[in-house]
Amino acid sequence: MSRKGIKYLLLLGLVALLTILPLIPGALNTKWMTTITFATYFAIFVLGWDILCGYTGQISFGHSFFVGASGYTSALLSLYFKWPIWATIPCGVLASLALGLLLSVPALRLRGPYFSLITLIMPLIAIKLVLIFSSITGGELGKSNIPAIPTPVPPCPSDAGPDVCRALFIQYQQYQYYYALGLMALVAIALLIISTSRIGKILEAIRDNEEAVEAAGINTAKFKILAFGISSFVVGLGGAFYVHYLETVLPQEVLSPTRSTEIIIASVLGGMGTIIGPLFGAYAVRLGQEGLREAANHIPALQFLNDWALFIFLALLIVLIFVARQGVLPALVGAPYLRKLKKFRKLGQQSVASKEVS
Amino acid sequence: MRILDVQHLQKSFGGLMAVKDLSFHVDQGEILGLIGPNGAGKTTVFNLIMGVLKPDSGTIRFKEKEITSWPTYQIVNAGVARVFQIARYFKHKNVYENIEISTIPNEVFAFKDAAHLHEKVMTCCECTGLCTCHEHTGHCNCCTQLPGMLPQGALRRLEVARAIGTDPDLLLLDEPFAGLSPQEVDEISHLITQLRQEGQTIVLIDHNMRGLMRLVDRVVVLCFGEKLMEGSPQEVSENPRVQEAYLAGGRV
Repeated sequence: MSRKGIKYLLLLGLVALLTILPLIPGALNTKWMTTITFATYFAIFVLGWDILCGYTGQISFGHSFFVGASGYTSALLSLYFKWPIWATIPCGVLASLALGLLLSVPALRLRGPYFSLITLIMPLIAIKLVLIFSSITGGELGKSNIPAIPTPVPPCPSDAGPDVCRALFIQYQQYQYYYALGLMALVAIALLIISTSRIGKILEAIRDNEEAVEAAGINTAKFKILAFGISSFVVGLGGAFYVHYLETVLPQEVLSPTRSTEIIIASVLGGMGTIIGPLFGAYAVRLGQEGLREAANHIPALQFLNDWALFIFLALLIVLIFVARQGVLPALVGAPYLRKLKKFRKLGQQSVASKEVS
Repeated sequence: MRILDVQHLQKSFGGLMAVKDLSFHVDQGEILGLIGPNGAGKTTVFNLIMGVLKPDSGTIRFKEKEITSWPTYQIVNAGVARVFQIARYFKHKNVYENIEISTIPNEVFAFKDAAHLHEKVMTCCECTGLCTCHEHTGHCNCCTQLPGMLPQGALRRLEVARAIGTDPDLLLLDEPFAGLSPQEVDEISHLITQLRQEGQTIVLIDHNMRGLMRLVDRVVVLCFGEKLMEGSPQEVSENPRVQEAYLAGGRV
């Protein structure tokens, strides 16, 4: 099967699994459902990062900037102007897109560390702005009571018992879970289509040798701006929905450098520049950390894991950079399989040849 | 008909005059040799034509259009392609994908027939001798190789294939024989002759005159950024000034 086919198959498998999981009774408690919903939003950010940084090779250390830009725009518009979220979310996405295109101008001139430095500074400036305008943004404490993404689930009636409320809450959680999943699936399919199209091929070629792409008659600036646009659009889309899912907007949740670093970790872990790899990487990072914490809470001998979860992931990343630089997923799916295939073919040919000789 | 017309081209790097008041032209269908000792400014001339460097003064006209200081990709799309002296391929893409990039149009939404592009890539592969395709199955055997695994000669042919992939009217070859074995030199000469028979206009750079003289119709000799002389290969190799510049009086 072609590499493209494997990618679509893996995406289909993942989406199918996540779709079925809540329907199996007892498979997911509310805690895990929430964890997966968080992971799904995180996956959207990682996907947006990969189409720009994984494909063109210019590493952004500050993609939380777009999450925050879009999230704050949408949250504050709906909070202060009481606009419905179907109006504020597009505003958030547009804000993110506009900032992305604006940033792409210096990005075209700067290479390597200078570009990364700019991306590193952007979210820090944004955090500072949030603090300066804390009368509007709520500063460090953020703003809560952001309108949620509406669901058909009615609010809990005041005279109902706790069981009824609990059932409604689970139902509500389920809706939010599927909203996130649907959004992620759409984004992933769109990015898979783009990345396996000619656009993806050109972006990969830019990562390899930009001068040679120019010499092939292709305007690399145009395609880099396009990648920036797609990336900031996708991350903005995820960010806007994310704050309405959270119903709060906090600088440390949407703008923090930790968030940006996690995005990079997930992509490198899964295999940057493949879309599907970072997608799995996103779930692995989020669910893996939560799994370690869960294990620590239930098994007394593993209690140390509570503090060590992130450390273990970072250490794992360093090991992986040495043993499987192209990422876990491509290493699992691609290389060994192909190597074996080649070996078998060679063996086959040799045996045929030796038979002919004898 | 003049396909390329360079007039009074001038370029200096700091105090060094790399190209000095250079004028020459290329006729449709000919092979022009651009020769000169090391450091004569040959590659700089290519860089100026391709828009990699901006000239201080002078004009470059291609097919009646002035292309001076255009960005590289526009010049390529106008119909000039260049084969680099040091291969600049995409090391993570295989031979097929390397050539494919050259055939992709410079548009975000290009609904050009995929089968047409495939055919074009295969033609480039075949005409440069990169792939031997099975007559009946149509299966080609080397397009899946990574360029890093190719020998020098095949790498040079890949570079030519990538250049041809852009459908050039004018092909600039920068020292196509550098670093090749005698056998590979013969193969590349053969390839150039073949391209010429198909009507390809070519400008060829080399500092080694011997291999070049059999291939070219006309020669422009550069020395210290200036045009020393211009003429047929015969005239040039017999000219004492050229011999002086080249081998300090030795025979060429």
